[in-house]
Amino acid sequence: MKLGAVGLAVCWAVAGLVLAILYGPLLLVVVASFFPLRQGQVQWAQFSLDNYAKLMANSGILEALGNTLLVGVVAVVLATVLGTFLAFYYDRSRTRARELLQLLVFLPFLMPPIVTGLALLIWFRDLAIDRSLLTIVIGHTLLILAVVYRTVLVRLQALGPRLVEASLDLGATPAQTFRHVLLPNLGSAIAASALLAFALSFDETIVTLLVTGTTNTLPIRLWSMMRLGFTPDINALVVLVLAFTTVVCLATARFLGPRGLG
Amino acid sequence: MTTADGGPLRLLRHALAWGPLLLLVVGPVLSFLAYGFFSVDGTTIVRTPTLANYARIVTDPIYLPVFARSCALAASVAALSVLLALPVAILLWSLRGTLKYALALAFLVPLLMSYIIKIYAMRAILGGNGFLNRALQALGLVDGPSTLFVFNLNAVLLTLVALLIPFAILPIFLSLERLPRNLMEASADLGGRPWQTLRHVVLPLAMPGIAAGAGFTFVLAIGDFVTPQMVGGTSGFTFARIVFGQFGTAFNWPFGAALAVLMIAAVLAAMALAARAGRPPGTTA
Repeated sequence: MKLGAVGLAVCWAVAGLVLAILYGPLLLVVVASFFPLRQGQVQWAQFSLDNYAKLMANSGILEALGNTLLVGVVAVVLATVLGTFLAFYYDRSRTRARELLQLLVFLPFLMPPIVTGLALLIWFRDLAIDRSLLTIVIGHTLLILAVVYRTVLVRLQALGPRLVEASLDLGATPAQTFRHVLLPNLGSAIAASALLAFALSFDETIVTLLVTGTTNTLPIRLWSMMRLGFTPDINALVVLVLAFTTVVCLATARFLGPRGLG
Repeated sequence: MTTADGGPLRLLRHALAWGPLLLLVVGPVLSFLAYGFFSVDGTTIVRTPTLANYARIVTDPIYLPVFARSCALAASVAALSVLLALPVAILLWSLRGTLKYALALAFLVPLLMSYIIKIYAMRAILGGNGFLNRALQALGLVDGPSTLFVFNLNAVLLTLVALLIPFAILPIFLSLERLPRNLMEASADLGGRPWQTLRHVVLPLAMPGIAAGAGFTFVLAIGDFVTPQMVGGTSGFTFARIVFGQFGTAFNWPFGAALAVLMIAAVLAAMALAARAGRPPGTTA
């Protein structure tokens, strides 16, 4: 649609402001990881990789990173399997109950994370389940389930029933239909949502904080480091996390493609 | 995806679908709501139903005012975020090709960037000696460091907006994308100038996206206790912090649950409002 010249200028100006707001703080952290910050002034002369070296030596961080990755992978696998299954279930179902099912899938994602976390905390206690890596995995799986479910369902509904009917008419078994017809068509949707879900899990702070026992994931480690005080190696860690997240995001974008935005 | 399957297999399918959800969603929700009616005695939970928690919320002079203030804060965050997101979404919508795609990515990538890191970075910027203050002084807008946004509710507001703008941009952008192009052409053919087309055709039709964006941001803002803790200082106290506190050293889980129910009520009200506001013009209730 055509915007007037003034309208266009206003939009670009606001866009510029928003980009500054979004990336400014991050840029600051990146700079601060390579250059020391004295009283708010960047010491441009003293480029150093010290912070990164200190980070590598910090075993607590590496353990937290390992936990974060482990939780992420397990939660994504669980959420992908369950989410895909539920999407098929919803699509097939002809009862009104399926709306309730969908609501339950979305609920952990729609509620403020603090509520989801607290509800799980209370529930685990009632069931006498100790807080541990398992409870973190459960929490993450519930959160990202909605993402996989919705992505797969939308693609499934867009595909329509004809392909499956045609396949069955031609004599394929349901299993073969799933493997050779549905899976290839759903593949990129599942892959993209899995990547997105992994990124969400990687960064998950609030629910994790509430359902963790003594295990550390990276966001929790960052949180406690920030409460204790600001050591410069935090900046290095942050930069690495940012780099990782950016890579994952760009990978997701490749899977979705420009068409995915529509 | 196939024709009907046999008895036991079918039962298994239903069990596999509903089982995890009942166990991990319905269970926690119900037990959470129930907790609001319990009380605590030292370190044990007393499970005899009582309305004491809710009575305390209403009669104690702290809770309701803080709740109201937090709702107002979340609403301001939502309004400001949508205000900034709208021109961005419109701009993205008006572009084509690689520029559109690249710019959209630029605005949406921060959605995935570490939440806690952004708060940490904002803290450095908003401090007394932080970048924002020094920029304002350099521009001559203030004489000394301003305390307007140092460790108080304003800092929380600014940080939340910075965090949540992408959440507002996305639904508005998607909503605009779904509008058929020929509507704009029709409006132009009938003599409408861009501004008029925007006001009378585009905005009403994009309302679902705008309402969704405002709704998301409100929900996320009201439940956030990390931001107030990091940049709010002692005066930037929000309701979410109080709720979280009950589950820490205060160890009054039932009371915390009761407080959280209040928060859930606000969330549901916001979502209902957003759904109502987002109904496209011309549809009846």
